[in-house]
Amino acid sequence: MLMLWATCMPAIAHAEDDTGLILSAEASYKIKKGLNVDFETEFRSRNDFRTADRVALGPSISYKVLPWLKAAAGYQLLIDNNHEEITYQDDGVSYNNWRPSYWGVRHRFNVSLTGSYKFNRVEVSLRERWQYTYRPSRIVDNFDFDNAEWEDHEVRGKGKNVLRSRLQLEWDIPKCKFDPFASVEFHTTRELEETRFILGVDYSIKKTHYFKLYYRYQLAGSNSDDPNMHRLGLGYTFKF
Amino acid sequence: MRKNIILYALLATMLGTTLVSCQSDDTDMDEIIAMYQVEPAAVELDFSELTELPDVPVTDEADSAYNDYVENSPWNKVISIAFDGEEATISGSVPGVSIQRNGAHLTIMNMSGPVKFIISGKTTNGSLKFYGDKRFQVLLNGAEISNPNGAAINNQGSKTFYVVLADGTVNRLQDGETYTMVDEEDQKAALFSEGQIVFSGHGELSVIAVGRGGIRSDDYIRIRPGVKLYVNSSALDGLRANDGITVDGGVVNIETTGDGAKGVRSGGLMTVNGGRVIALCAGNTRITTEDNVTDTASCAGLYCDSLLIVKAGTLMFKATGDGGKGINSKHNVNIQGGSLTAVATGTSKVKKPKGIKIDGNFDISGGYCYSYSRRSDPLEVAGTLQVATGYKTYDRTPKVITIAY
Repeated sequence: MLMLWATCMPAIAHAEDDTGLILSAEASYKIKKGLNVDFETEFRSRNDFRTADRVALGPSISYKVLPWLKAAAGYQLLIDNNHEEITYQDDGVSYNNWRPSYWGVRHRFNVSLTGSYKFNRVEVSLRERWQYTYRPSRIVDNFDFDNAEWEDHEVRGKGKNVLRSRLQLEWDIPKCKFDPFASVEFHTTRELEETRFILGVDYSIKKTHYFKLYYRYQLAGSNSDDPNMHRLGLGYTFKF
Repeated sequence: MRKNIILYALLATMLGTTLVSCQSDDTDMDEIIAMYQVEPAAVELDFSELTELPDVPVTDEADSAYNDYVENSPWNKVISIAFDGEEATISGSVPGVSIQRNGAHLTIMNMSGPVKFIISGKTTNGSLKFYGDKRFQVLLNGAEISNPNGAAINNQGSKTFYVVLADGTVNRLQDGETYTMVDEEDQKAALFSEGQIVFSGHGELSVIAVGRGGIRSDDYIRIRPGVKLYVNSSALDGLRANDGITVDGGVVNIETTGDGAKGVRSGGLMTVNGGRVIALCAGNTRITTEDNVTDTASCAGLYCDSLLIVKAGTLMFKATGDGGKGINSKHNVNIQGGSLTAVATGTSKVKKPKGIKIDGNFDISGGYCYSYSRRSDPLEVAGTLQVATGYKTYDRTPKVITIAY
């Protein structure tokens, strides 16, 4: 099924859309009741699975403040394969500059509050997450077509604040180890930057190994240069 | 067991997908960049012998060029001047010609008509200065003249000044870093003339300019076959004429290093009928400020204020400084034959370097034209570009244009 999806997705995707994969592995340790520390690594691909997009890793901690309220904080080191950038002359055809793709790091900090409520076997949760991401400046290669030479180009350092709001539904199906879930998440700065729609299932083995398989549609904001993304996610969590 | 299979299958899928995600999604720019990073055609000074067609003087007195031919004047009045250090020995006298001496600095008043001055010997502190509205000839016969305070040869007369290079001789002129000026007199180059200069003969002349230009006429300049000129100017233009330049033949090599300096600059019609002219300009854009108004002037291998016509011969120009142009024409350019190569490799900090920049029209109907610009368009034509049919090659890439018939 995975192979079928991977084969068909590029064809059905919108011409400006892209497809990729999200693979994650996480270790979770329960310090005491309600208090957990986690360490997660994640790999993303793009360009119809052909190009590595990002590697991320970092710890997080969560605490159940109330039975229905969880607080969490975390840090992630993001290692991004930044897209190439091409600019054109005023005629719109002749090249001006080409900055090839390059690998760069970012540091991301986040804090979140998640409130949840269970209606029979359906759990509704709302997570509000503030995240701050800092990109240090760095020098990258740039080809200046006017001067016909490679030159150093400074990608300036900058920080960015994003508010992420996620509404999620989870179903607990009796006598079934597959728990489906669906969510919608909005990334907002001063405007709506991205919307994520997720549909997936959780599966666990002996309450130690947890697997997650999901489809995520990432709708870029109207002012974004990024393509819309179809992504298949595979996650594994080992709980101590 | 089944659970382990699921686990391993997932892990294998993750690992496999990660491994295949190693392809770049960048645009393939290799070929495009190679097209932009192409190296220019070689443009270097060339002192080798040039096989030229016979130089046939005009014999029709009605022809406007008749007086440009030294053969068409009688040269029975001769004065010889031999320099030797700080002294000069003068042989012969001509009624109507007076010579004032100050060491090896000679001031000659010619009221006699065509007079031939045969110059030889070496001085490191001497000069020749001519007055009089009569055409005259200077036959350089192994002369080496340096003037630390101005031009080596300065003609204030407005009639034709024939500079004849005696066959097989090597001659040298050099100016000084500072010029001692005389009121209401120009002195614009190491070899300067108010009137037209016509070069002929089969000798060599090197002009070293450190204070002002190399060779300059406030009228026009004609260069005939057989002449070998080398100009090295670290200050102003190499070869410049206010009213036009005609190259019938000869080998002309020019180097300039001054900011804003031009290798060849013609204020009037420039016609190339043969020969080989090569100019290398290394200066950057000259920036001057006067009355709070800033002006910029870029270098150019060839700078034309008027029409340029190339019928035959070889022209090669290279500018390597900031904003330098191979050819900068303020008028039309007409290539009917010959070979024209223009290269600009400089930076574009102040002005844009261009292989060929033409403010007027560019018409080509024969010959060969190559233009290269490392940091901008190789050919910029403000008017119309007319490439007559029948060409063998007409290639245009981002940095090079080649047209060949």
